[in-house]
Amino acid sequence: MTALSTETPSRPAAAASPAALRARKDRNRALALLSPGLIWMALFMVLPMCMVVYVSFWTQTTFSVEPSLTTASWQRFLGSSTYLAAIGTTLRIWAIVLVATVAIGYPVALFIGLFVRNKTVQTALLVACVIPFWTSFLIRVIAWRPMLGTEGAINMILMKLGIISHPLEFLLFSEFSVLVGMTQIYCVFMVGPITFMLGRIEPSVIEAARDLGASFGTIFRRIILPLSLPGVMVGAIFVSVMVLGEFATAASLSGRKVNLLGNIIVSQVGSLKWAFAAVAGVVLTVIITAVIALALRLVDLRKEM
Amino acid sequence: MQSRALRPVLATYTALFLLFLYGPMIVLAILSFQGPEGGPQFPIQEWSVYWYKHLLGFAGTSRVSQLPVGDSLLRSIALAFMTTVVSTVLGVMSAEAFRTRFKGSGPAFYLIILGMMVPGVLVGLGMALLSNTLGLSRAWWSTSFVLHVVYTYPFAFLVMLAIFNRFDRSVEEASLSLGVSPAQTFRRVTFPIIFPGVLSAMLFSFTLSYDEFARTLFTAGRALTLPLAIYGTFSVEIHPNIFAFGVLTTLFSFTLLVVYGLLMKRFTARAARFHGQEES
Repeated sequence: MTALSTETPSRPAAAASPAALRARKDRNRALALLSPGLIWMALFMVLPMCMVVYVSFWTQTTFSVEPSLTTASWQRFLGSSTYLAAIGTTLRIWAIVLVATVAIGYPVALFIGLFVRNKTVQTALLVACVIPFWTSFLIRVIAWRPMLGTEGAINMILMKLGIISHPLEFLLFSEFSVLVGMTQIYCVFMVGPITFMLGRIEPSVIEAARDLGASFGTIFRRIILPLSLPGVMVGAIFVSVMVLGEFATAASLSGRKVNLLGNIIVSQVGSLKWAFAAVAGVVLTVIITAVIALALRLVDLRKEM
Repeated sequence: MQSRALRPVLATYTALFLLFLYGPMIVLAILSFQGPEGGPQFPIQEWSVYWYKHLLGFAGTSRVSQLPVGDSLLRSIALAFMTTVVSTVLGVMSAEAFRTRFKGSGPAFYLIILGMMVPGVLVGLGMALLSNTLGLSRAWWSTSFVLHVVYTYPFAFLVMLAIFNRFDRSVEEASLSLGVSPAQTFRRVTFPIIFPGVLSAMLFSFTLSYDEFARTLFTAGRALTLPLAIYGTFSVEIHPNIFAFGVLTTLFSFTLLVVYGLLMKRFTARAARFHGQEES
């Protein structure tokens, strides 16, 4: 037995074809090149996430946490209507923003990806969509305040036009302003992938359909929409993970009226309630994992990229 | 036929969409020229560059305290630079690894991509908990830095993956079979081909890190980065100096974009000249 086991590893190596040898060398090289990145991710992403789960079971004292395991924080979270409401708010805002970005973004993508056939104009329009990203995220959020406020641009214009006599109060520091802000900021993540998918549709396919007498409605339903759906899914994944983990937009535009799970984490950390923040973190992780898992069932991310 | 009628409708719609994207920034830029007595809203009391002077510390005594941007700006640039270098190197290495098929490439791919998916507030919380437990102090150049790389490395990786996918392997093989060493081949053959991708990966990493906020919030410790300094002003009343700051940072980003564009153009021009020589 022992003789056999010492002999086997050396023999295939000696007998291996040069192709097999090369394949093994390539594989080892690939693993060597990949390992620093994977180790980085394991240490600084996976380990902290495990830590969040672990700490959610620690005991919370007034200003610190102790590593004796308890489910007290979980009981407090799940027993509190405020925190359960935060889950509801997070899901509601996510669903509305997702629908809004698709509804607002799809026609734009349709125009850029399908109706503009001049490559230069197409690129210029896409760049125009991306340029706002070159402004700080927080500045883009705060820019909605002078736009929506009672003395803001929209109220001013509407009053000048005589449409309203008193400024609209619901525009700022409400759920509405959070929804508008998020839709504006994340819409481009929907426009981009859909445009990309639409741009890949062979013009001859649409021409053939038209020659065969199909109306635009039919062409859209039978050709354009199915071929663009992977783009919608990729966009939905982007928008979902960003909106679900949001807190800054709600913090600066809702006037503390909208509490997302992210806001709860931030405020709990602010008052050093680490265990409690960790519970909110785990809940958020579960929600996001469920959403991504669902989306990945519908689209293969690796194939689309 | 309907599609002919649809075209102007969609064009108008797209124009409105762009107005939606740019509107707030335009309003913000207009209000940044508010007079010294004016607030962060309409009407404009008088047109002035007072708040720009205020931001840069030339305004003298004022009812509004100055934004703490000086040191935090330097920290943010240093952090973005460190992040750019590390994530680009990691991105190039990983994308190069993905050119060969190996077992477990699927999970490895998703592990890397997860870095851009995980919400910043979650990894930030995890990192803060981890450093608390290990007794490490948190700082922008340590705990924040590693998280920034976790975030930007997947972007660099995806950019490089796209470049390598379009890259003809036989060019490298020709070089190797002519007896050029692997290191020399990488420097003289591979790198020039992937350079535009590297530049894009660097641009991505730099801007994402420079603007990153959620990952820094719990991990930066006492010394603030630029986004944290801006966030700190949100809780109190805002003044037009934030708007002036917004305009200036946007200009800074555009400068960066122009530099990138020029580098890219210069490089592609040189590559085109090279092709011309080969053909003649």
